[in-house]
Amino acid sequence: MLTDLLFGAYRKKVLGLLLLHPDTDYHVRELARQTGTAPGTLHKELARLATAGLLLRKAQGNQVRYQANQQCPVYPELAGLLRKTTGAAELLADVLAPLQPTLACIFGSVASGTETATSDVDLLVIGDIGFADLVRATHPVQAELGREINPVVYSVPELQRRVQAQDPFVMDLLRNPKIFLTGTEHDLSQLTGHTASAGV
Amino acid sequence: MTLANLLAIQRLLAFSATPEGVQRLLAAAVRNLADAQLAQLSAENRFDAAYKCIMQCAMLGLWAQGYRTSTSQPGHHQTALQALPLTMGLPNDIIIVLDALRKQRNLNDYEGDPISDAVVSECLAQAQALLAHTRKFLQTQFPDLLATSKKN
Repeated sequence: MLTDLLFGAYRKKVLGLLLLHPDTDYHVRELARQTGTAPGTLHKELARLATAGLLLRKAQGNQVRYQANQQCPVYPELAGLLRKTTGAAELLADVLAPLQPTLACIFGSVASGTETATSDVDLLVIGDIGFADLVRATHPVQAELGREINPVVYSVPELQRRVQAQDPFVMDLLRNPKIFLTGTEHDLSQLTGHTASAGV
Repeated sequence: MTLANLLAIQRLLAFSATPEGVQRLLAAAVRNLADAQLAQLSAENRFDAAYKCIMQCAMLGLWAQGYRTSTSQPGHHQTALQALPLTMGLPNDIIIVLDALRKQRNLNDYEGDPISDAVVSECLAQAQALLAHTRKFLQTQFPDLLATSKKN
């Protein structure tokens, strides 16, 4: 994965957890457990990231807790990068690959970064794929993410029919942010004949 | 989790179904499956009819084993589906799909999300398979429940 290359697998895990849960602070041991890393090395790593201004370091009695620093000038860009490459996106891209979808993306609150603790992951898959196959492929990811996955599958003709009929659900989906797992925004607008932000 | 455990936590209630009751519910499931195949209906309503057939089959499984769901408890549809491996020996692989159909129904009923062609055809295929399975299960394990009592 691209972010493994940029950050290193282990730093990516830690940043992914902290920057995608900016309202939560974590104790080092908690971070080590959740990311499967050694607390010893993690201590140094976190201290360096705090010195650089990316994390907030809070001493609470004899405990040190870390939290994402949302005031850091590059916080939005880094969080966006991690949102697209870790967690739901990475896991779903892996399990969808064998089904060879024409296009696949996450939409809804997870894509726009407005998800709450109980939000589903809304998944759009375009292709000649059966609903049962999609459900079976994505089911194991639910436990890993701690979120339910809501899969929506359309064949290319059905997608085009719904766009033509101005189906409110599909029009809303096209207008709002997406994280592409297979294909790009451009591929989607080729399929639908609509540009992403077009009001029509 | 066993059926007895589900009874203990009041997700299920003890229930003794009559042959007439079982046959009436089975006939309703058959009608719903037929309605689900009416091409002039909307995708939503065909899906609803097929889903109803699935739920009625799940109830038949529970009834035959001496239970019914507690409809005063939230999530009784989920309980009925998750009991299927215990009542009629369905594999978990099928339950995953049936439970996903239940979620589609919630999203359609309460949020207006559309039902896609793929979901209608899957729901129909699952209803057909489950109804056939339920019939065979009743015939082999509980033939008394299918017997007609027209002796006098």
